[in-house]
Amino acid sequence: MLIFSVFKTLTDQRVTVELKNDLSISGVLKSVDQFLNIRLDSIKVLDETRHPHMMAVKNCFIRGSVVRYVQLPAEHVDTQLLEDATRREAANQTRR
Amino acid sequence: MDPSTTGIQEPFDLIRLSLSERVFVKLRGDRELTGILHAYDGHMNLILSDVEETIMMVDPVDENFEGQGTVKVAKRKMEMLFVRGDGVILVSPPSRT
Amino acid sequence: MDESTPPPPDHNSSPPPPPPVTVSGSPTDFLKGVVGKRVIVRLTSGVDYRGILSCLDGYMNIALEQTEEHVNGFTTNRYGDAFIRGNNVLYISAAEPI
Repeated sequence: MLIFSVFKTLTDQRVTVELKNDLSISGVLKSVDQFLNIRLDSIKVLDETRHPHMMAVKNCFIRGSVVRYVQLPAEHVDTQLLEDATRREAANQTRR
Repeated sequence: MDPSTTGIQEPFDLIRLSLSERVFVKLRGDRELTGILHAYDGHMNLILSDVEETIMMVDPVDENFEGQGTVKVAKRKMEMLFVRGDGVILVSPPSRT
Repeated sequence: MDESTPPPPDHNSSPPPPPPVTVSGSPTDFLKGVVGKRVIVRLTSGVDYRGILSCLDGYMNIALEQTEEHVNGFTTNRYGDAFIRGNNVLYISAAEPI
């Protein structure tokens, strides 16, 4: 839930999603769900020469399970807030 | 249960105590990261900053040389990174060896 | 193939080895017994981690201390502490009497 919330705060920001098949797509984060499926708009494939079939694609839906990394805009991430929220969630998990 | 260490009762405690510290992460696909840990969850999804990634690739030219072919490494840096937990093999806190 | 009826159990195979005398019964008992002891954790990738087992959870997530990483016989890394994500674990083996 915590990571889901983080992604929600980053909607309308530009992120770069790196997939497990090494395809990297940068785009504007339009939405995310609890599985961390991701919808991107105005996408750009980083290595277009290697993936020419992606050139015409303007937006996409990415299944969460195929994601390796998401590069986030650091200026929109409050790291102190993240750490506090993580500790809080960890405390709730162990108390169950 | 009486763990010899300082207050670690479950494996995730090790990760919790590493928040805001630089950690080493070993990933599937011969990748390693170091970065400052800011968030994690039960899947081991991570958010790290000031990340350096190391990708190990065996040079195909030397591969016939009995397994220990020359390993090429590629490095890159990323400012803020989400890492999906299913790729994580190992996380190690900063070396207090 | 020459026998059409299935053989009765235990008939033409040697009896299973007796359980280690130091451990009673269940896998859970074994895991409780090795906490705080030296263990070898083998991952499905074939990599071994040798260290002192701090603790583990139901997913087999593991915390190790004084860990050495072994890849086909060579020590490839040392970690003061290491968290291993459970899905990678093939087995945990006691490296000292328990």
